[in-house]
Amino acid sequence: MGCAAVVKESGRSPKAAVSVARISGFVKKYRQNVAVRNLDLEIHAGEIYGLIGPDGAGKSSLIKAMAGVLSFDQGTVNLFGTNIDSEKSAEIVKPRIGFMPQGLGLNLYPNLSVEENINFFASLRLVPADELARRKQKLLSVTRLDRFKDRPMKNLSGGMKQKLGLVCTLIHEPELIILDEPTTGVDPVSRRDFWSILTDLLREQGITALISTAYMDEATRFHRMSLMFEGEVMAKGEPDDILNLVPGTVVSLHADPQARAVSRLKEQFLQVESLGSTLRVFVENKLPNAAVQAVVAALDGIGIKDIQPAAPELEDVFVALLHQRHLTDDAPDCPQDSLSGPAALQPVTLKPESLNPDALESDIAIKAEALTKNFGDFCAVDKISFCVRQGEIFGLLGANGAGKTTAIKILNGILTPTSGYGQVAGVDMRCAGKDIKNRIGYMSQLFSLYQDLTVVENIRLYSGIYGLSRRETRERIAWVIHMAGLSGYEKKLAGRLPMGVGQRLALGCALVHRPRILFLDEPTSGVDPVGRRRFWDILFKLSREDGVTIMLTTHYMSESEHCDRLALMYAGRIVADASPLEMKEALKNDAGHLLSVLTGQPLVALKQLEKSGFDGVALFSKRIHLLSKDPGAAEKTIRSVLGRGRIDVVDIAERPLSMEDVFVYRVLELEKGEKGLEA
Amino acid sequence: MKRMMNMNRFINIRRIWAVASKEWLEIVRDRLFFALSFIVPVVLMLLFGFGLSFDVENLPFAIIDRDNSALSRDYAFQYINSRYFDFKGYAFDQRDLDPLLTDNKLRMFIVIPEHFQKQLLNGRPVTVQTHIDGTYPFRANTAKGYVSAINHSFSMSLMTGHFSKRYGLRPDNVQTILQPVKLGVRYLYNQSLNSIWSVAPKLIMAILLISPPFLTALGVVREKESGSIYNIYASTVSRLEFLIGKLSPYVLISSINAVLLFVFARFLYGAPFKGDLLFFALATVLYVICTTGIGLVVSVFAKTQVAAMIVSAIVTVVPAALYSGVIIPIPSLSEYAQVAAHLLPAMYYTQIVLGSFLKGVGLAALWPDVLILGIYAVILFLAGYLLFTKRPRA
Repeated sequence: MGCAAVVKESGRSPKAAVSVARISGFVKKYRQNVAVRNLDLEIHAGEIYGLIGPDGAGKSSLIKAMAGVLSFDQGTVNLFGTNIDSEKSAEIVKPRIGFMPQGLGLNLYPNLSVEENINFFASLRLVPADELARRKQKLLSVTRLDRFKDRPMKNLSGGMKQKLGLVCTLIHEPELIILDEPTTGVDPVSRRDFWSILTDLLREQGITALISTAYMDEATRFHRMSLMFEGEVMAKGEPDDILNLVPGTVVSLHADPQARAVSRLKEQFLQVESLGSTLRVFVENKLPNAAVQAVVAALDGIGIKDIQPAAPELEDVFVALLHQRHLTDDAPDCPQDSLSGPAALQPVTLKPESLNPDALESDIAIKAEALTKNFGDFCAVDKISFCVRQGEIFGLLGANGAGKTTAIKILNGILTPTSGYGQVAGVDMRCAGKDIKNRIGYMSQLFSLYQDLTVVENIRLYSGIYGLSRRETRERIAWVIHMAGLSGYEKKLAGRLPMGVGQRLALGCALVHRPRILFLDEPTSGVDPVGRRRFWDILFKLSREDGVTIMLTTHYMSESEHCDRLALMYAGRIVADASPLEMKEALKNDAGHLLSVLTGQPLVALKQLEKSGFDGVALFSKRIHLLSKDPGAAEKTIRSVLGRGRIDVVDIAERPLSMEDVFVYRVLELEKGEKGLEA
Repeated sequence: MKRMMNMNRFINIRRIWAVASKEWLEIVRDRLFFALSFIVPVVLMLLFGFGLSFDVENLPFAIIDRDNSALSRDYAFQYINSRYFDFKGYAFDQRDLDPLLTDNKLRMFIVIPEHFQKQLLNGRPVTVQTHIDGTYPFRANTAKGYVSAINHSFSMSLMTGHFSKRYGLRPDNVQTILQPVKLGVRYLYNQSLNSIWSVAPKLIMAILLISPPFLTALGVVREKESGSIYNIYASTVSRLEFLIGKLSPYVLISSINAVLLFVFARFLYGAPFKGDLLFFALATVLYVICTTGIGLVVSVFAKTQVAAMIVSAIVTVVPAALYSGVIIPIPSLSEYAQVAAHLLPAMYYTQIVLGSFLKGVGLAALWPDVLILGIYAVILFLAGYLLFTKRPRA
């Protein structure tokens, strides 16, 4: 992988690219806050251009300014040769642009039906009636929304809302579409569906697209992109070019004892992550063999197993770029090694064997048994059952609306289940008293901090709520500040903290009464990768060193790999429940390995490969992904199929399966099974 | 249709229709919004119509009759038979009445002194003590008026009887001698001084001042809050088309409400309508456009629905109550308040409402008020148009 020369060869047609948008020296301020500073960008006709970055990177500001719906402070925005500097000039290009703002379905009208929504957008754009009928029919059938034509938009699922939004954006056949985070919070199945519909439609009509996303793993969907952070472009170009900016190798391994291995590795390498029992180290500037040697050398005297090199992913590169520019929020005295601060949590060391599968019943920290919650006719959680052992990090993974938050609220005693029961530390949460609440910590989706109180005041407030004595409070404040790396922020108002810091403060507040079990609801959404990794470091230490049981929810597929065990949730049900590794292994057994095919004509090749009966064929920018049980035989078949079609194959490589692959496969299996039952 | 579209690049009927019909569907399908639109104004009319009465009737009272003679009972019956008072009974001692007064079970009591009959028959003056609850000065004043009127008529009839017996004159001749100047009062426009006749039309004014801005501001800001306003910003709809399309459903709703409120005032409260119905209808639509414009201006500044509600409540409820002439006539206001009243549209429509309902005057008399409302509407919409931008700063 990672050969720029190949990328260039296989790129778009050699003729000079026509520029659709040209932005230079762009600055956008909100009062004193600079949202975007001095940004340059050029988008070519027919390409899918990506803006990737965490919340607060300035993506939305740029996108709105380009759609002509936000004024800006400096620089030029030129679309189709028109300089957008006033409302009047923006009006000139608006007929040629389609814009979909951020927020899943928020720009649609909930009380209007699917068809009425489309008709409204079409009338705004004066689409003639016969033309509208034709386009509507086509778009509805491509998006498979035709069956739901008369359904009010508010009763659609997240994925359907997103597709309807796309239809409404495309109904006037714009030349450029601008989509602001269209995939945020959508389940992976719908996300894949969305991308394949989008790429098909764009290609067919030669539409140019500018799309923003906070998911690093969507980078492969773009032809070219800009990596943004805090109002600046960190890197831009083709995805492979950006990956090549920080050459190196990711080495994954199992080490025992893990904690010691982590602290050793952190002395030498900037990026060390613990994913369950796997360690992941990014070794910059080293080829695979050299990288493995460097890691082995660093871990002298520690047992190593399953050591493997792999190509770095965009997030690794992004974090490396942030480190290069010193843009991380690491305080210099930040405790990288241990949590044992001035007044540490009593060390409850967890024996490694308590993590083994044959653990005793008494080791069960959280248990859900056929838990069900109905809100009226709507079944938010549908008979879910699972167990979480003490000291384990357990993740509930699923899209918005899958039922994750409801499940966690039932286990917390905030909601009562319609049927079934949840047990926490052996106590049934339906009739749990106050003492159990003192043993659990809960961090809600919105961080539940008091924005107008300072960091210390927030911690003190939570100490008061849990009835800590004055001496304990003083100790715990010191502990939280140390654990969460908040020194220097003590007197700052919680509302003014950067997202990642606020998140760590919220975690500290949830831990102030030394709970043995911690519930976290979407703790990392909106936080940048560096902040997220730092947060995971803390969670990992809490679990491994202090034996705290952690149950959390997330919709980041990539993040779920940090968990010891995962339950995939889809439409209120648990689709799979195992460790991330086991899930991938199971997928490998059921469906096969993931092959990535690079050809000169990806679109034609895609059709041909679909026809020849491969599983999970999907286009990722210029690469085609598919699943096969026998990679060797599959490679031969692919070469012969494509050879017959006179398509040259540049490269076929096996890629590691991601959690997203697992999720998509499992959900599709489930749906297929249900359809079979219905028939 | 197509040719019409080409004829005018700035106003496109189809786009206005698209915005207006979408807005209409959203309003009627959203139960809460529908209730706010049609039920709240009617409820306000009922609540205020029955609640905001200035008539003092059935005032609970008691009598302490220390004389207990034929004449004292006769005197007491004057009050007991009056429709303005509600007789609760006789008492012996004032101390028995105190708890009833503190509990608001009595508002007044009358003490007829000992030797009431004897003194009067001997031609000596008598003082009857009347104790009136003064916590509400307005009510106390009115009650005092009734008491004096009853007392006066009793004295008159007593004297008339006395003189006619003594001098052998006919009672009506005696009356003419005793009261040479008679006061003849005829109340114009509202002969029986029925306060609801005047209140009900003014309520139409007040409700149509409060409800349309509230709905309009909420409707526009709702789009801002959800983000669907970006559909408008990003599309080729012109500002004017959007504003016309967006606001016309609210003007329509408020016009329907105006009809409902008119029916209530006319038939439930029995207020007479003496003016020109067509003139009144057109003037009301103008007023509704004007108040919808207030909502538009509020919506430009408000970012959240909560803010929109609070701001529109403040800018409409206070003027509706104080500076419109509902409770206090404008000329009776302080100088400063009069200036405020003249700056707000409510006062002018109050003139139109009262003129049409009670006075039976039309355009000939009310054209200045109509003109001012028209100017108002133009200013508000111009301000809304200029302040609304499809390319905001944040």
